[in-house]
Amino acid sequence: MENRIVCVPGQRLCRLDSTHTLGKGTYKRQDYIYSSLAGIVNVDNTNNKISVVEVLSKDQTIVPAPGDIVTAMVTTLNQDMCKCLITSVCGHELNETYRSSLRRQDVRMKEIDKIDMLQCFRPGDIILARILPMTEAHTFKLTTAENELGVVIACSEYGHPMTPISWTEMKCTKTSAVEYRKVAKIVQDNADENT
Amino acid sequence: MDLLSRQGLRTDGRRSGELRRIRCKMGVFNQPDGSAYLEQGNTKVVAAIYGPHEIRTNRAKAPNDSAVINCQYSMATFSRSERKRRPRDNKSAELTLHLKQAMATAIKTDLYPKSQIDIFVQVLQSDGGNYSVCVNAATLALIDAGIAMEEFVISCTSSLANGETPLVDISHLEETMGGPSLTVAILPISGKIAMLETSQRIHINHLEPVLTEAVRGCRYIYENLNKIIKKHYEEIGGALNWGTEEYNI
Amino acid sequence: MSLVSLNEAEKVYIIHGVEENFRCDGRSRQDYRPLELEMDIVSNANGSARLRLANSDILVCVKVEIDTPLPEAPKDGKIEYFVDCSANATPAFEGRGGEHLAAELSRFLCLAHGPVFNLSKLCIVPGQSCWKLFVDVLILECGGNLFDAVSLAAKAALCNTSLPNIVGTYEDGQNIDLQISDDPFDTKPLEASDLPVLVSLCKIGNSYVADPTIEEEICGAGCIVVSVTPKGNVTAVLKKGAGSFMPDTLNEIIMSGSHIGILLNKALNETLIQDMSSNVCKQQYGFLK
Repeated sequence: MENRIVCVPGQRLCRLDSTHTLGKGTYKRQDYIYSSLAGIVNVDNTNNKISVVEVLSKDQTIVPAPGDIVTAMVTTLNQDMCKCLITSVCGHELNETYRSSLRRQDVRMKEIDKIDMLQCFRPGDIILARILPMTEAHTFKLTTAENELGVVIACSEYGHPMTPISWTEMKCTKTSAVEYRKVAKIVQDNADENT
Repeated sequence: MDLLSRQGLRTDGRRSGELRRIRCKMGVFNQPDGSAYLEQGNTKVVAAIYGPHEIRTNRAKAPNDSAVINCQYSMATFSRSERKRRPRDNKSAELTLHLKQAMATAIKTDLYPKSQIDIFVQVLQSDGGNYSVCVNAATLALIDAGIAMEEFVISCTSSLANGETPLVDISHLEETMGGPSLTVAILPISGKIAMLETSQRIHINHLEPVLTEAVRGCRYIYENLNKIIKKHYEEIGGALNWGTEEYNI
Repeated sequence: MSLVSLNEAEKVYIIHGVEENFRCDGRSRQDYRPLELEMDIVSNANGSARLRLANSDILVCVKVEIDTPLPEAPKDGKIEYFVDCSANATPAFEGRGGEHLAAELSRFLCLAHGPVFNLSKLCIVPGQSCWKLFVDVLILECGGNLFDAVSLAAKAALCNTSLPNIVGTYEDGQNIDLQISDDPFDTKPLEASDLPVLVSLCKIGNSYVADPTIEEEICGAGCIVVSVTPKGNVTAVLKKGAGSFMPDTLNEIIMSGSHIGILLNKALNETLIQDMSSNVCKQQYGFLK
């Protein structure tokens, strides 16, 4: 390890001016940048005008925040909404699941009144969704109202995995039965990332 | 028995301004997200942090924009020389609240909205200054867990001997021998006080020297812990290859 | 209690592995995970031991007090077990969360040690005073197989316990005042090497494993805990969990538990003897290592 500065929370790193800005793991107080984690100080000089001061640390526990794309598993379903457990945030797996719910009107963008929840999701499906901005509610609210969001992995009634055919249908691999889901349109380049 | 003998020595052989030996280790357990073991003299404390994770207690009252901090302070039944019947009782509940109050000043709760951070502190052996050692152990454990904090929270106790000399970092014997005792928790860099508690009466003229001694004790502990943590992270960082290209966050 | 949840595939994997006598971490069905034992951790207790069984961390302390014996057993001392599940182990143990587990553990320890531990050794003056032992168990981390770890630690702590010597008695008619020696080294060790050790055997699929991890405990259909003395005698049996056993399987499991118990006891005794003989320059580590 050559010349890396190890810092602890509360250590003053540098002055906050036009050439340095705050990065991850830092906070500002009275014109100076302080560290809020224990780790190594890294100054990111890729942008020529401004260098970003950040603190690299071990993997921290991530908390879901509004606007993040999350992977969730559907647990219960009724006509108004379905309850899900958030298992990973932006690709990082969480140690513990967070409870969340997906309302009927947030399933897709078009024809909101004609949505039948049973034809969009089933318990046990793995979905990609986005967290809506926080409201007064106690659980996270999700939305799948985009083309790239929706069911990614599902099992048919007979217990075998299914592959997507269109944006509303999935086909069982063993029995070739077709079932209805709100399927996520996965762009081919990112196919490996999403399995 | 005098708290301070004529040669200026206390009951355990220290001078009035000396603190007890500090030894600590971070990352003692695997299961919690962060853990630490700290001993100051004969007081030994183990702290474990779980979180941030989903709010389990009282979801309705949870604030929308910051994390909920949940603490528990418990003493082992064998911690005192006389066996204690129950690990958690009213006195523990009061110390739990004080612990929460002290730690909440430093944790950056706005980075973890709608989640809960659990701080569990267990006193294994008690010989005075339990609360202080718990606060220090909790700080170490929070750093080990990687939870963003503005700065350390360090706590220390002090007392008054013979009506004029302040003693720092008092042991159990000195606590019970009758002098007033003061416990303070500060944020060392900004110099702010997070928690202050006194027992018995202290004359207003004596308050300032006793408080100054306690704050000085806190700073000494801060410097020691700082060195220990930096050394610990230098070793870990070297092993995990921090700062190199392959390490991706 | 545990933070671990397994899906179907993981459970099937574990069950298949057990059937082929090759568990997830490479052990056979009868192997135990590495154990670390340290004595004399807590300086103000009469005996203490800390045991690490893979991820499980148990701290046991024994304190003694003088007490009056029960009227129906004037020549017997008393022993009381108390288990405290610390919240450090799992957030679920916070507050009163761990009370069920604690009650079960302390009750079964009492039951297991009862037939073997000769309480008359703790008697000082028959009918007037006796020693009362408080065995306090603190569970700091749960890594599966708590019963075994707790019983091993408790036995080690009791073997490490020494009772202070009584130097004088002052008789004043009916009352007897005892003078306990002030010298911390003037003690008599407690004879506890006959105490039993608990062996947990968890039934997974059609076979059973010793020293289950948390994941194996979840996939298991039921667990039998057998209390075995160093000679191989079984003092108590407990069945945990939902799952039933055929009588023949039950017999088999208990016999197997008895064999394992003999080996476990032997290993523990050897360690304790080694520890006591190297008393001269022992380095105290405690939690610092």
